[in-house]
Amino acid sequence: MRKWIALSAVLVAAAVLAPSDAAAQASCPVKIGGVLPLTGSMGPITKKIAESAQLAVEHINAGGGVKGCPVQFILRDDQGQPTVGVDAAKYLVEVERVQAFTGTISSGVTGPIISSITAPSKVVQISCCSTATPFTLDGRSQGYFFRTLPTSKTQAVATASEMARRGLKRTAIIYVNTDFGQDMTRFVKLALPKLGGDIVAEVPYTDNQPSYRAEVTKALAEKPESLLLIGFPKDAVTIVREWLSLGGTQKIALNNSMRVKDFVDGVGGRFLNESFGMDNAQVAGPTVDAFNKAFEDKYKYDSKGPGVHTQYDAMMVLGLAMNIAKDLTGPSIKDAVRQVHAAGGATVGTGPEEYKKALELIKAGKPIKYHGATGPIEFDANGDVTGPALVWKIVNGEIVTDHVISIDQMQALFKKIDG
Amino acid sequence: MIGVFSYLVFFACIVLILGVMALGLNLQWGYTGLFNAGIVGFYAIGAYAHAILVTAPRPDLIGNFGLPWIVGIVGAMAASALAAWIVGLATIRLRGDYLAIATFGIATTIQLVTLNWDGLTGGAQGLPAIPRPLSAWFGSPLGFNLFYLGLLIAVVGLVYWALERILRSPWGRVLKAIREDETAAIALGKSARRFRLEAFVLGSTLMGLAGALYVGFIGFVSPFDFLPILTFQIWAMVIVGGSGNNKGALLGALVIWGIWAASGVLIAKLVPPAYAAQGGAVQVILIGLLLVASLLFRPRGLIGEVPVVSRHADD
Repeated sequence: MRKWIALSAVLVAAAVLAPSDAAAQASCPVKIGGVLPLTGSMGPITKKIAESAQLAVEHINAGGGVKGCPVQFILRDDQGQPTVGVDAAKYLVEVERVQAFTGTISSGVTGPIISSITAPSKVVQISCCSTATPFTLDGRSQGYFFRTLPTSKTQAVATASEMARRGLKRTAIIYVNTDFGQDMTRFVKLALPKLGGDIVAEVPYTDNQPSYRAEVTKALAEKPESLLLIGFPKDAVTIVREWLSLGGTQKIALNNSMRVKDFVDGVGGRFLNESFGMDNAQVAGPTVDAFNKAFEDKYKYDSKGPGVHTQYDAMMVLGLAMNIAKDLTGPSIKDAVRQVHAAGGATVGTGPEEYKKALELIKAGKPIKYHGATGPIEFDANGDVTGPALVWKIVNGEIVTDHVISIDQMQALFKKIDG
Repeated sequence: MIGVFSYLVFFACIVLILGVMALGLNLQWGYTGLFNAGIVGFYAIGAYAHAILVTAPRPDLIGNFGLPWIVGIVGAMAASALAAWIVGLATIRLRGDYLAIATFGIATTIQLVTLNWDGLTGGAQGLPAIPRPLSAWFGSPLGFNLFYLGLLIAVVGLVYWALERILRSPWGRVLKAIREDETAAIALGKSARRFRLEAFVLGSTLMGLAGALYVGFIGFVSPFDFLPILTFQIWAMVIVGGSGNNKGALLGALVIWGIWAASGVLIAKLVPPAYAAQGGAVQVILIGLLLVASLLFRPRGLIGEVPVVSRHADD
């Protein structure tokens, strides 16, 4: 019995440690590693994100792969637990020798992966979904970390400017107590006073509670004349209903997550005629439609959901950057990521055909401009993307676009706020 | 093969850090019978104490003193010992499952405090840029990991040796007496409460030490490091390894963390890429099956308790 156990343990260890292919020494296939929380509390939303990554890999391979090699995508589960995610990332980087890395969702997992795996080993990491600001700002990533979702700052500043434009005063903020909610609140607090508004209360809330009466009462105690609600639709329905029933104003500013019919119907459209919200304006255009169609054709359900579009772009950016890079080392790929959206480049979009077109341009030594599933992708000095913002409002229970704040206007706003 | 070696060094570091926690729990549960379901709380206190003491100052945070690594380690142990003493004073009289519920609640409270006390812990953003000891001296990640592995082997060796010494002393025998029959131990004139409290504080101090070693290794800490799943994993290590045996606790750490890591690799290799999104669920099922199988075939753990308790018993 004991011998049998020992033998099987040795066999498992050997199987685990052997590289995936006998031909691992050769440069084909090019490997991209991924870590995502396929199970755990994020599991339900991650399935689509993982499928989006798979779709991108199919498009990359159909369009010519990387430097003539097919791309092999090795996906591991972090179970929402930092130690598990770090272990999986370490395995991908050291044993599988992946040339680039994507992941993950929870900032609590992404942080340790950057600080202990990807940055020290000089492997480029692109995340679809981690919003915590310090990653790109504190220099810890040494420039190896990028993310394809606009940071909370863009949305927060746009929100503050729209609130000021509408002349909202005495604002109460109720926000979800996560890195996203904290970040949004921090930037709104920074921006709003400089644009002419004022904040009278800040109340954090914990998600998935049956009632938020205590939080709403606390916010109302300061006699606010407007509300900024930052959170997720399910809790937001409860909060807005309690807010209104306790006599709160209908002047409610909302964040991007609330731009869904479920929220409007949950509260009741007739109470929301003075409400408005913010979103990333890039989520429209032909390259976005092309992605949506490709996703629906393959998986037979729509591509709506957090992180689905940004994950596709993360993969495509890696694919393009690896073709632009002169070799597949971390430092070369890191520099190439910034050339995926080069000044004066020819526009390339989503899907295998566009990818093929991009490869031809790259081979000819010409610059490209990648427009992805979330519109144009251009990284700033920190490895973050900024973009235009969109103001939406609710008219008779329907969500309609009010106007767009262009990228130039956004930059003017940033200048005004950062001083 | 350098990559495989590099990964194994990293893996061994994590196993040893988890092993320190397993040793702490083994002292509490394996020897004294204290059902501590709040392991992760003391781990969090050690981790944050270390991070706050050694990280370079930042204007927006209260703590961050930029002190040397060793001060962080000692501070982390002191902080978790103090926390365990306060918690112990209030709860140590509770038996079995009652203590479990109380400590579980306390661990959840501690995790929520780390999430909400932004000024001290950085909140959900976490504390980045925690200095890793002497990491500037090493050019490559492998160099640093090898150094840290050496450090961990020394720490775990010291902890193991010290535990073996005290558990074979009269103090250790009283713990076992309390575990087996508390009334009898009291009848012999021993203060069960005092011994239980001492074992609880000592075990929790080791958990705090593990927290400090972990953040010193990873360089980042956030409240997501301290979810209840970790408590469950440490319990699995002690039970599968063999409770009441320090070698068993360390072996359990190796086996359980090995199952966790290896199952992920196996799934990634065996499941076709098109189904990778579903692979995660299979991995969790596999982990559960392996745990159940190990308990069915080795109910006393891989290495059961050794009946001899005195250094002089063999004489």
